[in-house]
Amino acid sequence: MSHPHHHATSPELARLTLGFVPLLDAALLIVARERGCFADQGLDVSLSRENAWATLRDKVAAGLLDGAQMLAPMPLAMSLGLGRAPCDTLAPLLLSRNGNTVTLSTALSEASGATLGDAPVVSALALGNWLRGPGNGKRPRLAMVYPYSCQHYQLREWLTLGDIDPERHVELVALPPPRMVEALRSGEIDGFCAGEPWGTLARHCGAGRLVATGDQLWPDHPEKVLGVTRSWAEHYPATLAALLRALVAASEWLAASPENRHQALAWLALPPYLDHSVRHLESLELNAAPIRQRLYGAGMLRPTPQDALHFAEPIARQLEAQGGRFSPGQLAACYSPVHFDAATHH
Amino acid sequence: MPSPLNILLVDDEVVRAAMVEEALMAEGHRVICRLTSPASLNEMVARHQPDVVIIDMESPDRDTLESMALLNRENPRPVVFFADQHDSDMLQAALQAGVSAYVVDGLVPERVKAIVEVAIARFDAFHSMRQELDKARNQLAERKRIERAKGLLMKHQSCDEEQAYRMLRKLAMDRGQRIAEVADNVIDVLERLNLTSPQGRTADKRGPRS
Repeated sequence: MSHPHHHATSPELARLTLGFVPLLDAALLIVARERGCFADQGLDVSLSRENAWATLRDKVAAGLLDGAQMLAPMPLAMSLGLGRAPCDTLAPLLLSRNGNTVTLSTALSEASGATLGDAPVVSALALGNWLRGPGNGKRPRLAMVYPYSCQHYQLREWLTLGDIDPERHVELVALPPPRMVEALRSGEIDGFCAGEPWGTLARHCGAGRLVATGDQLWPDHPEKVLGVTRSWAEHYPATLAALLRALVAASEWLAASPENRHQALAWLALPPYLDHSVRHLESLELNAAPIRQRLYGAGMLRPTPQDALHFAEPIARQLEAQGGRFSPGQLAACYSPVHFDAATHH
Repeated sequence: MPSPLNILLVDDEVVRAAMVEEALMAEGHRVICRLTSPASLNEMVARHQPDVVIIDMESPDRDTLESMALLNRENPRPVVFFADQHDSDMLQAALQAGVSAYVVDGLVPERVKAIVEVAIARFDAFHSMRQELDKARNQLAERKRIERAKGLLMKHQSCDEEQAYRMLRKLAMDRGQRIAEVADNVIDVLERLNLTSPQGRTADKRGPRS
């Protein structure tokens, strides 16, 4: 990190480091860097690939990273002190909507008859009925990515649709996304809920089948956000505004043509970013059923507290189970569009 | 003298793990298990019931460990150890050294702190040793390729040498390859990228004319 300048509108910081986890929805950060959107705003940004969400979170909280791609519920969980000491954190921009899949191992999908249907309840009930049937003693082990994540909450909601008790009928574990496919193939887990490209990759290599999507469960939900600490946002307001404008420009560039999306996929496949995990993709499938991952389009990037209500409820329950009290004010502060509006409206 | 604590150590740098283990045993603790890439951390924790888990901060297993605090009803629940808010120096030292720690609820913070300090010191010592070793090995061909890959990554990501090394190490972890193999691939991809970049082509075309 470099030295602050003191111009009214130029960024206080010229050099930034932002964290990301290898997932398709790191795309806006990667495009903004490779396409030069950050540079256009006077920012020199390095992207730091992180192996665990917990580590990314701790580095942002301690100031080792200026900001990061975060799971949408993460800024709220951090602000409320879930999983670590409280740290006021903001989500001034959405990096993606949708993108999660519930994927079961091919063996479990075949045995239970759970396949992707028009509604997620169909596959959930198929798995539930099979689990309640005779001779199916072994509890399936299902993975999600992090305790405070849409993936965790969506997996629980899907299980509940099938009358499956997440505590008793299955075993839940957390694994980092890049480990999901290998764990599924080796039989270490029997299914997972994770973001793209991991669901599609599991299907592509024959290890698993997609049986429900996050969009089916929570239509058009915020999935990843840009996360910065409140103290960082207060110290570097012009840098934050420049960052937000660069990401909006990256999103508009991605929307402009299929050729641009093709180019974006080539950038994603570079070793510092997603590496081998996107080699099987011929194009960046965006806005396509059933996953409907969105990285651009009307209202895509602007955060609102209403959007965060999907995951505010499970977070409030987790907090109360640990003896805390949920604060609606904190929800409104985390997902307020005030920074986004200030940066993009002239 | 206080009773020894059971410590689970998760680190895929075998030499560093041995250094931490030795130091903790010298303090009178029991280091239950030294794992390199555990297949199932959940089962390890359930079986060995550690009081403290010391884990390499860059390990992908941190998320698994963290979920146990929330998901496991009957098992001990490791929670992330944070030196209290006032002691941010220690927190920074731990982050810089790459140490993170999880403790079972109710343990006296001072005892845990002493253990984390030992781990930080050993991680730092190992880091210095590795730098010394790197210097000595600089002539080796493999090292040269790693240096070349680091250089390309530093240029591509405008990051420092340590960050570039970590990037290579993370790629190696994810791919299950040796760092030198990853370095070869990184050189291959990034050099090809430089050759085909618009700037590269323009330079080639203009070359003969000027």
